[in-house]
Amino acid sequence: MSTSSKIDTPALLDVANVSKSFGSVEVLRSVSLQVARGEVVTVIGPSGSGKTTLLRCVNFLESYDSGSIRIDGKEVGFRDTGTRQRRSERDLAAMRAETGMVFQSFNLFPHLTAAGNIMLGLRKVRGKSSAEARSIAEHWLGRVGLAHKADSLPAELSGGQQQRVGIARAVAMGPKILLLDEITSALDPELVGEVLEVVRSLAEEGMTMVMVTHEMAFARDASSRIVFMADGGVSAAGPPAEILAADTDNERLRNFLARFRASHF
Amino acid sequence: MIGQIAYALPFLAQGLALTLWVSLLVVVFSLVAGVIMGVGLVYGPAPLRWVVRIFSDTIRGIPILVLIFFVYYGLPAVGLHLPSFWAAVLALTLFKTAQVIEYLRGAVGSIPKGQSEAAMAIGLTFRQRLAYVIFPQAFRRFLPPWINGVTDAVKGSALVSLLGITDLMQAINQVIGRTYEAMPLYILGALIYFAVNYALSLASRRLEKRFSFIRE
Amino acid sequence: MGYALNFNLIWRHFDKLWGGLLLSLELAVISIAIGIVIGLVLAVWYVSAGRVVRTIIAAYVEFIRNVPLILLVYLVFYGLPTVVDIAYSAQTSFVATLALYSGAYLVEVFRSGLEAVPRGQIDAGKAIGLTPWQRLLHVRLPTMLRITLPALSNTFISLFKDTSVASVISVPELTYGAQWINFNTFRIVEVYLVVTAMYLLTGYALLYALRLLERWFRAAH
Repeated sequence: MSTSSKIDTPALLDVANVSKSFGSVEVLRSVSLQVARGEVVTVIGPSGSGKTTLLRCVNFLESYDSGSIRIDGKEVGFRDTGTRQRRSERDLAAMRAETGMVFQSFNLFPHLTAAGNIMLGLRKVRGKSSAEARSIAEHWLGRVGLAHKADSLPAELSGGQQQRVGIARAVAMGPKILLLDEITSALDPELVGEVLEVVRSLAEEGMTMVMVTHEMAFARDASSRIVFMADGGVSAAGPPAEILAADTDNERLRNFLARFRASHF
Repeated sequence: MIGQIAYALPFLAQGLALTLWVSLLVVVFSLVAGVIMGVGLVYGPAPLRWVVRIFSDTIRGIPILVLIFFVYYGLPAVGLHLPSFWAAVLALTLFKTAQVIEYLRGAVGSIPKGQSEAAMAIGLTFRQRLAYVIFPQAFRRFLPPWINGVTDAVKGSALVSLLGITDLMQAINQVIGRTYEAMPLYILGALIYFAVNYALSLASRRLEKRFSFIRE
Repeated sequence: MGYALNFNLIWRHFDKLWGGLLLSLELAVISIAIGIVIGLVLAVWYVSAGRVVRTIIAAYVEFIRNVPLILLVYLVFYGLPTVVDIAYSAQTSFVATLALYSGAYLVEVFRSGLEAVPRGQIDAGKAIGLTPWQRLLHVRLPTMLRITLPALSNTFISLFKDTSVASVISVPELTYGAQWINFNTFRIVEVYLVVTAMYLLTGYALLYALRLLERWFRAAH
């Protein structure tokens, strides 16, 4: 699993020298990151280190000031002309449909049922018929263990169930890459396991994923690579065993892990 | 006295019909204009947002009566000749549009940002996000104040009597001019307006209840 | 089109507008002052009264709120003197009408404010041995005011704008002044531009003053 993929196949996700500022605060400083097909990359780091912003740049929920982000060789938010001209609304939507995103706060559509949440993108973006979309939705709801909740509204589901629907909604679109933004942070501890179990099974099937998480044990077991971010830049990256080793000579990382262990174990 | 008033009833009914017709036109036009401008206010580029903001704050900051006179007397002065009926409808529509803009802003503003982001993330375009994610949710917050505000259109329409339009208010005035039965006719008129508006506000309360159960 | 703005005649007759604005403010202040008394008394009465009184107060509120102000103004000025033996000036008649009108709106504001006063505060008042009157004066009313101040400010501004309806019975307030200039000089666009600015400036100045008052009140209580 942890064979670091430094092979010649072009990266599926190629983040190159991306920088971004909110006003005078530089949240991303020339971040570069390649993710190969089938890889699971976990981004860790102290809050404010830019992890979430990086993730949100990948599907262009946030724009960035310089650098480039490519998925399958295609620039995400800007036209391929190299002029940093923003893509049209239609193109952006089409690009975003190629990346799935799962949010910390679930963000299920409260007026739609679990199945309806999944069907919306399938019907309006993928152009599937209602019946087709329904059967895909049911398939994915089954995969996350919620076949019996297809017609429940989000308000009728527990947090863990809502997040599993959130995952199903994202993967049902058949994305090339799945972005997971602290997806268990808003859950009660006893509900974390059921959500991570779903992520683990997707990883085993070869879904390419970039996830921001504080679940170190999960990161260690499930990811092929861990990226440690600090102050808006990539401070260390490598296989889990290497990054999570207590005796790393990266002082920042050592401090982060020490503080993390102190507060989480 | 009763006889004279009974004789006037068909005439008052015509006035009421005109009042309702003006109100209906105003409500429909302002709904369309207000929703479009409200979307501009929430999602538009900065210059558009300023224009809508200034429009709404100005209209809501002056009396409807001033707005009615401004439109009615002002438009011909700059060379635009509208029949008084349409000038009245235009003025009341401007007033109501400003209200609708604020209802829409409030309703859309109450929806968490994550909803838009989740809709973006599955690849919906701006229009699709509005149509399938934002508006269905905003709708139930928009509806109660909007229906409540329909009574404002009916009440506001009484001012068009000042432009010589024979709405219910003007019909009452004309009947009084003929019969000199001021008090009974004013009371009758008040009761008619009351019946119409009270029915509307009861309907809005019922709708409010009906849509409250899906609040998360 | 090609309308050339010329404000000279407006400035020549500006006293009509300025005097009108002062009268608008005067009408608003007096009516609202009476309206506050009506509103407070009825709201306090409502929350402690039985069914009959509640129904009567609710009928008053609902009636006024669902009838156009212009009709009420006509009714009081032209209608009432035909059935009862009273005589009053247009101005007095309008103040009476707007007072009743604002009273109906203010009852609603005050009532919902009174009902929003937390139970615990009233209990605390009882616990330290305050009489019902003392509880009303020192606990319920101040708390209610703090809760309702933002809504009150909006109601006041709206009532200030409603004074324009006084023009229909020839009370020489701001809108009447505007019409006078409209008909006598035909500088129509100009006069309504100026009057719009005057209503806006006065309205927003009032709002600002009321916001200051809110802040002061919050700090003091």
